[in-house]
Amino acid sequence: MNSLNRMFAFTYRNFIFSFRNFFAFMELLFWPVIGLLSVGLMSNFLGLQENYASFILTGAITAGVLQVTQLDVSYSLLYDIWSKSIKHTFLAPVAHYDYILGSWILGIVRGTMVFVIMAVFSVYAFDFVLPPPMITFMFMLGLYVNALVIGMLVCLLVLLYGQRVEVTAWSLATMLMLICGIYYPVNFLPKIFLKLSEFIPLTYFLEYYRSAYGFAPLFSHSLLKGFVLSFVYVIILFYLINYSFERARRTGMILKLSE
Amino acid sequence: MENFGIITENIHKTFHSGFFIKRHTQALRGISLSVKKGEIFGILGPNGAGKTTFLNILSTQLLQDKGKVFILGKELTSHANNELKNKLNMCSGNPNFPWSLNVQEILKFYAMLYGQSFKQSRETADKYIAMFELEKFRKTRYDELSTGSKQRLSLAKSLINNPEILFLDEPTIGLDPDIASKIRKIILNLHKEREITILITTHYMKEAEELCERIAFIKDGQIKALGTRDELLSLTNSKDLEGFFLELA
Repeated sequence: MNSLNRMFAFTYRNFIFSFRNFFAFMELLFWPVIGLLSVGLMSNFLGLQENYASFILTGAITAGVLQVTQLDVSYSLLYDIWSKSIKHTFLAPVAHYDYILGSWILGIVRGTMVFVIMAVFSVYAFDFVLPPPMITFMFMLGLYVNALVIGMLVCLLVLLYGQRVEVTAWSLATMLMLICGIYYPVNFLPKIFLKLSEFIPLTYFLEYYRSAYGFAPLFSHSLLKGFVLSFVYVIILFYLINYSFERARRTGMILKLSE
Repeated sequence: MENFGIITENIHKTFHSGFFIKRHTQALRGISLSVKKGEIFGILGPNGAGKTTFLNILSTQLLQDKGKVFILGKELTSHANNELKNKLNMCSGNPNFPWSLNVQEILKFYAMLYGQSFKQSRETADKYIAMFELEKFRKTRYDELSTGSKQRLSLAKSLINNPEILFLDEPTIGLDPDIASKIRKIILNLHKEREITILITTHYMKEAEELCERIAFIKDGQIKALGTRDELLSLTNSKDLEGFFLELA
């Protein structure tokens, strides 16, 4: 019960931050809609068939949802670092899963809001066709788990290298999206990136969702592979974050981030 | 060991910096001391003496390279002990809290971090807002508070889990004398009412004289003198702690 309260503390704090800060509003609406509009208008201009248009619109929606959800996980540490209050947070009996999962909960709420806004907008503006609800639900679940992995990776890097790597909160997801074939099938990528994409869960979730538009998937059991890979990464990352936190206590990084 | 709130044995800490040219700064060099339960223990020393480093080790924020720390009879291990963390808290001078949150939200947030439910945290926040006369700042965002109010909030936050051990790191630094005096009175009252073990670092000799039952003087990461005010003064024939400080620093 205590741990649930601690998790909720982070959900509560992140909610206030995103409610009171303009940049959080921009993350939620402005950038995702701009991305969607650009891609949607381009597909109209190119006169793409319905399934091809849906293919790339899926990419734009994924980019918006993934970025917003993973940012919330990354913010679990970054809010404290910007406020220089990390010392007080870790003075309390906080476990790593408390702040990561607590922030992820808000990320899921914000990610769902982005999805609903973008999906509705795409359906009306660009005749986007949503796959059946169960497929969409599983895809969204995959996106949230993948966002958790990316956010945890950012937290790990921040604990190891400090505030100078905070830029990864905005750049890491975008880089990974490129490798996962956000607007194109991964077999269009150079061989080395194709190999690399096999290690990223998002590749499988995109494959799974797009198969609903009639595109033959490149990998078998995409959904299963995506979830298994994500689960393995989450376990490894919790272990590494624990290690890097102890290292940060040894090197004084926690205190440096509070100055 | 039962009668002691804090025991440290031979604590060493060295900081390493620089990428190509490594620099090593020895912050603590064998600090051993014990603080009785319910005692107010002061740590004095010039800038860079290692006071804050020592406090950060005791409050689990920093890991020592060598030596042992026992808090309430339990050893602080390399993995932060959450059971112990429930019994500690800290108030530091020039405090920092999440800047988008107001006073009430900050207290609620930290209360929840100590395991309180949302409802309980609201009651706790109300209690400490009243105790520290923060009512008119209840809805004021942290970054809009005055230094004195921030300090009172920091003290309020440090009591939110009813700690058995309280670390005060220069709690009156940068405050006007009247507010500093008020804060000292609050600390003394809290100590009297709750019998908390308090470890305080300060630059102000008056503060040390007013609050501390025993004092350790640290310089260059080592304890140079330890005892009651009178015992310290007898070591140097000084009339007051300021004279003692100037002689040893």
